[in-house]
Amino acid sequence: MCMEYTSLKKDVSLVLGTSGINPKKGGPVMRRKVFLLALLVLCIVTMALVGPMPGPSTATAARPIVIGVPTSLYTPFGREGLKAVKLAVEEINAKGGVKVGSENRPLKVAVADTRGGEPGTPVHDALMAIEKLITEKRPDAIVIGPFRSEVLMASMDLVAKYRVPQLGTIAQTPKFQFKIKKDPEKYKYLFRVTTDALVDATYLNNTFDILKNGYGLKNVYFLYQDTLWAKAFSGLMAKHCKKTGWNQVGFEGYAAGATDFSPALTTAKEKKADVIGMVWDVPLGAGMFAKQYEAMRVPSLLVGFVPPMASPAAVETVGPGVEYHIAIEFPIGASLPLKKWPKSGEFLSKFKKKYGALPEAAAVNSSAYDAVFILANAIEKAGSVDPDALVKALEQTDYTGASGRIRFNAQHIAIFGQENPNKTGMCVIFQWQKGKDGKLRRVPVYPSSLAEGKILLPPTMKK
Amino acid sequence: MSLLIYGLINSVILALYAVGFSLTYGISGLANFAHGALYILSGFAAWTFIHSLGLPFAIAAPLAILVTGVVGFLIYWVLLLRLRGIALAELIVTFAAGVAILELLTWKGFYGIRYSLPLFIRGGVEIGSVAIDYQRLFVLIAGIALVILLWLFVHHTRIGLAFRAMAQNERTALSVGIESDWIGSLSLAFGSALAAVAAMVVLPLGVMESTIGYEVLIYALAVAIVGGLESTMGMVVGSFLIGYGQIAAAKYIGAKWMVIVPLAAIVIVLAIRPSGIFGKYKELEERV
Amino acid sequence: MATSEQSLRRKRLDRGIKARADTIFAVASYREILYLMLPRLVPVGLLLVMPLLLQGYWNKVLVYACMYGLLALSWDFLASCGLFSLGQSLFFGIGAYLAGAMNYYLHLPPLVTLPLATITGGIVSALLLSPVMRLRGVYFAMVTLMLPLLLMKVIETTGVFGGTHGLSGLSPLPHDAFAAYLAVIAFLLCMFAFRRIINSDYGLVLMAIRDDDRAVMSGAINIYWRKSQALFISGAVGAFAGALMTHHYQFLGMSTFALDYSILPVAAVALGGQGSFAGAALGSMILVPLSEALRALGGLRIAIYCMVLIVSIIGLPEGIFHFLERKYHQFETVSEVK
Repeated sequence: MCMEYTSLKKDVSLVLGTSGINPKKGGPVMRRKVFLLALLVLCIVTMALVGPMPGPSTATAARPIVIGVPTSLYTPFGREGLKAVKLAVEEINAKGGVKVGSENRPLKVAVADTRGGEPGTPVHDALMAIEKLITEKRPDAIVIGPFRSEVLMASMDLVAKYRVPQLGTIAQTPKFQFKIKKDPEKYKYLFRVTTDALVDATYLNNTFDILKNGYGLKNVYFLYQDTLWAKAFSGLMAKHCKKTGWNQVGFEGYAAGATDFSPALTTAKEKKADVIGMVWDVPLGAGMFAKQYEAMRVPSLLVGFVPPMASPAAVETVGPGVEYHIAIEFPIGASLPLKKWPKSGEFLSKFKKKYGALPEAAAVNSSAYDAVFILANAIEKAGSVDPDALVKALEQTDYTGASGRIRFNAQHIAIFGQENPNKTGMCVIFQWQKGKDGKLRRVPVYPSSLAEGKILLPPTMKK
Repeated sequence: MSLLIYGLINSVILALYAVGFSLTYGISGLANFAHGALYILSGFAAWTFIHSLGLPFAIAAPLAILVTGVVGFLIYWVLLLRLRGIALAELIVTFAAGVAILELLTWKGFYGIRYSLPLFIRGGVEIGSVAIDYQRLFVLIAGIALVILLWLFVHHTRIGLAFRAMAQNERTALSVGIESDWIGSLSLAFGSALAAVAAMVVLPLGVMESTIGYEVLIYALAVAIVGGLESTMGMVVGSFLIGYGQIAAAKYIGAKWMVIVPLAAIVIVLAIRPSGIFGKYKELEERV
Repeated sequence: MATSEQSLRRKRLDRGIKARADTIFAVASYREILYLMLPRLVPVGLLLVMPLLLQGYWNKVLVYACMYGLLALSWDFLASCGLFSLGQSLFFGIGAYLAGAMNYYLHLPPLVTLPLATITGGIVSALLLSPVMRLRGVYFAMVTLMLPLLLMKVIETTGVFGGTHGLSGLSPLPHDAFAAYLAVIAFLLCMFAFRRIINSDYGLVLMAIRDDDRAVMSGAINIYWRKSQALFISGAVGAFAGALMTHHYQFLGMSTFALDYSILPVAAVALGGQGSFAGAALGSMILVPLSEALRALGGLRIAIYCMVLIVSIIGLPEGIFHFLERKYHQFETVSEVK
């Protein structure tokens, strides 16, 4: 009874205090020395890692134009986008830089990892990282921008306050342009060079039409990631499918951090879904889903946006089960060289030469590459890096690059269509198919101006 | 029918997560909140052995289990030794160690589709109308085997009994000749090794990333608390309750509610009956 | 028994000035007055002047530091009552959501939402934690660890108050310097108020509950009522921090319940020293600017907080503040044992 009481007392007593049952090993003096030594080591290691503080930029022959890249390097879109930006910057600098007025100035990239794509990061944190980049590195323009739509929306006010032109190339939420529409003068510094959910959904809707009309499929099961962009995307697809006579057997949203999709996959199987429409961008969930889909051998056609399954490396990382997966690549040139659009092949071969492999994700990389050239052209046109002049020049952009012909509409978003890359920006739908040599390749199947093959149905589904 | 089978597999996976945690926290009374971090660490260790040293999975896996056991041992000697008896400090320090490990792994770039362990055998089998892949069958077998082994170990071997003795009354155990430092570090080592075994079997089902570490810790905690800390039976019952609870929530309420089940279970059980279902009712220690 | 060889022992003696500045002799001369007042005046003076010196990004860091300081102070207050919570983010998030929701849906200005969110936040936190108030030690800590995660998942799942994408475009505080001064003054007021409370009779009862709650119960004092009062006070301070952050960043999201906001206060108190609130304040003033300076390291920052936490608990459990205090008041010599 006495012993119980003392052990109780210990629980309730000063928790961060002195030692427990064991006698102090080495005594308080020894411990303090160890503590101070550990602190010293921590300091030294930190200094070594952080490096010398960046001093004021040394005046070289020509002051570089700073391109700020605050994005989440945790996601493949951020990482590969950064690589694409660096590739473009190198190319432009090799040709002598950007002509601003009478002098040629090189481009310089200033990176900040906002960690916005990581699940545990508070949005405040990501905003602080962006603000730190803007106030310390003083970029003349921002490229790529945030990954998570939530961070993008929250950062719009920040960028507008500091008057830095921003060319976003990842986040796809349509709320971006709605906000710009509400106050065009305040948000005029914000542009988007890549697609948005509306464009992506239109492409997939047309694919659904082909599947229904050409192949007679009728049951569809929608699965999506419960975030702004993915929800909008899936909602648009579901609406279209309902209108065109598809039978919707499910419309499930999973939390962005979910890792177990077996309930959804079993339901899809039970309800005999012909097609599973899936939209997911968080790498962890997408990877888990890909593996579970393959392992559970669900006999449905997988259509949508699941980055690990659309990646060039999908066969090695996920497995041969990716065959017949139909994916959207937005915009063109992100990872699939198209025979009918040589500019995509040019960008990708340069990328592969410099970095050793094609970009990991089948999305948005070509936008990052094109954005740098668009920016350089606008600076040359404006003759200065003054934000307002730059914005005016950007509005008049007419540039044809790896992602098609990029022009901006009144809400500062790039115009995407479905006809021809010489007219507008484009996306492409492709399918993993086994070639005559038995190897799996990605074959573009829609739109017709870019297609190199037709959609094939898996043998289990042939009627 | 398929729901029953997948619920079973889900529950066994939860039991696998909880086995190691139960051994250290429930049976030996040592908080090891770095459990989730050790789980993921073993996965990345195995991956590194496979890809950087070129070892086959059959060798990399036991090696990773050994390495994790050693790390667990070290956690006791470096951290817990000096804090024995102060339950809250143990919790905080091991939790901080776990978070540090996980964040270090993320910082080093250990995330992405490249990081996954190979399946033991590809392919599957059909039971009724449900297709189950071989890996999930392995999970089932491994889970049941581990639980039975744990029960046997804790009730019938000298070391297992020593673990329980240390948790019940340390001074008496000392007077009988059970050296608490050595036994404590063994307990932590075994618990970490069990976490590694679970990792080797379950991780091939998906990709590896630090976020999973946090999840595993929460699941292990939920199972341990719901079932009751000291009993193996409680762990099994707890894992089934939560496993089927999740599947039921996914089917009847909505898939989004799956993640809430373990958290809500912890809060509710702690509020109503902190010892859990099968735990010994330690009223004096846990509530006023 | 001592051997015949010479042995040394370490002595700690009060400094001369401390002995001279005792009781009424504190006002004997300027030297004594300065000795006692300087450690109190200098930090306070610095903090009051900082908002004027810092601009833009570093101003935000100051607000961040004061906000974490408030969370650390509230943790310390709860710890002085025996309630060790690992979930300060619960209070933070509740205050943030209350202020943000009131501003977004009811269009109340920040000057109204801040006090309202503080009081309501305190009440809500006390109510939420009242079922688990009976728990002690580790069990209470585990519940507080899980509750913010649970709330975060519930918000994500049900989509209330903006769900995953949160609410943006909330009204800002009138001026950057205003926000900074509000944060600094609240922080200082809180620290001094808590010190006074703990040193009063009321605080004595709270500390008694920490030391031995059954003895207090047997003295016919209702410890649950006292505990809920402590939770209210602490929750109100945490809620104020959350509400301030929401208006300062003009954004509200479920990330206010993140683990970050629970771990850093504990690390700050562990570093600074538990018991005297000055330790909590010191710890947060060291850790937050450090973490901002290390922002380039990304995720490594959190690993560093955790390592600081571990090293502090094991190596210097009394905390930096107590260490410094002791050095300030005493000196050590080594003398022979004859």
